[in-house]
Amino acid sequence: MKFLCVPCDSPMKLQAVTPPERGSLSIVYSCPECGYEMAMLTNAYETQAVQSLGVRIGPESGSHASGASDAACPFAAMIPGTDDAQRRQGAEPVPVRWTAGAEARLAKVPEFVRPMARTGVERFARERGAVEVDEQVLDAARDFFGM
Amino acid sequence: MKRYQDIVGDGGSRVLEQVAEQRTRITDGLAGVRHLVAVGSGKGGVGKSTLTLHLAGALRARGLRIAILDADFNGPSQARMAGVERALFVPGTDRVALPRTRNGIAVFSMGSLIPESEALEFQSTAHGESHTWRATREFALLGEILGSFEWGALDLLMFDLPPGAERTVQYADFLGPRTSFLLVTIPSEVARGVVARSVAALSNGPNRLLGYVENMSGYYCRDCDAIKPLFVSPESFDTARGLPSGLEIPCLGTVPFDPELARHCDRGLPLAEPADTPGGRALEHVAQHLLDSLESTTEPPDEVPLRPLR
Repeated sequence: MKFLCVPCDSPMKLQAVTPPERGSLSIVYSCPECGYEMAMLTNAYETQAVQSLGVRIGPESGSHASGASDAACPFAAMIPGTDDAQRRQGAEPVPVRWTAGAEARLAKVPEFVRPMARTGVERFARERGAVEVDEQVLDAARDFFGM
Repeated sequence: MKRYQDIVGDGGSRVLEQVAEQRTRITDGLAGVRHLVAVGSGKGGVGKSTLTLHLAGALRARGLRIAILDADFNGPSQARMAGVERALFVPGTDRVALPRTRNGIAVFSMGSLIPESEALEFQSTAHGESHTWRATREFALLGEILGSFEWGALDLLMFDLPPGAERTVQYADFLGPRTSFLLVTIPSEVARGVVARSVAALSNGPNRLLGYVENMSGYYCRDCDAIKPLFVSPESFDTARGLPSGLEIPCLGTVPFDPELARHCDRGLPLAEPADTPGGRALEHVAQHLLDSLESTTEPPDEVPLRPLR
């Protein structure tokens, strides 16, 4: 969807996005020529349509960014080994630290796999007496599981 | 006044750019895959998933590098059958490593993530209206899987498709013309009719139809060492006897139901080598025809997994 400032015949630019609230996104556009501002307020269907594409609306980073990618793992409560699932079962995992390099690799994992990958790798580390997950632990896990 | 096409970009929402980036990541991720083969039918319950796994095993036994993507997100079965139900997903340097079967077939299945006691659900702002967005969400998920996992260098990536003739066409659209289709039917008029619809629908697109396999063409009785009929087949499509099926695509073979192979699937113990039984030999035959058919293609169409958006 694109917005045009009719008096200026100029494409409007996205200024800010408010995260979904009660199923609605608020997206502010302004005209770079005259400064006129307008807001697009989506209904729940429109919000869901954008979220279903697996994209985020707005700048790459920043607190105003919004969309599907900001959501927690959509299956978290269903997947064994995730925090949500463990909370349901009343278990409390022993904390394991992650180095920046290992976290960076984990960040590339899709949202829906990340909680399970984190928990599984931490379990692998604990079973070997490690209290920290670094890239070597990740490589060892990969080798161990024959990947 | 400017029209939509006169305006470059979308004013900063980056939705189109992100979709294009996703598609580029998919194309990059599949660059090392020689053949993309979707195993579909249109009809449910014809044994697409078991045939996919057994064919993958037969091809793997020939030394080929094989992966299976279980695209049936709502009814995933490959995780259990391939023995990767409790697989661990480990982050690699760029993408996520794939679990493998004992005989080295890489498998992605939602069944590795979600227990069989749970149904696949997505968070939604449009409660009670999933018919309006669910298919889009599932294809976005498929794109994420294709773009995020290490498919690496493969001879074949096999997609185990969900049932539904219209779904088969949607997957053809999404996966693009590089993907060839293998359809599965059984010797029943109802199944043949549904598969004929899939053939008709796919024939309108650019994807190659490699042929079909008639699954469950009788069952193998070990006591008698003979194949006995499962369905009363009208002669008009008795492929086991070389008669026409009515499906206007090549028949790559017929595979009898073998209770022993089914038991292996239920226990998650895929065979490292095709069994020396009529079923095993039939799978070998289909695997050879599949390879012949794939190799007979000149060059696959240019990589256009998804149409560009503007």
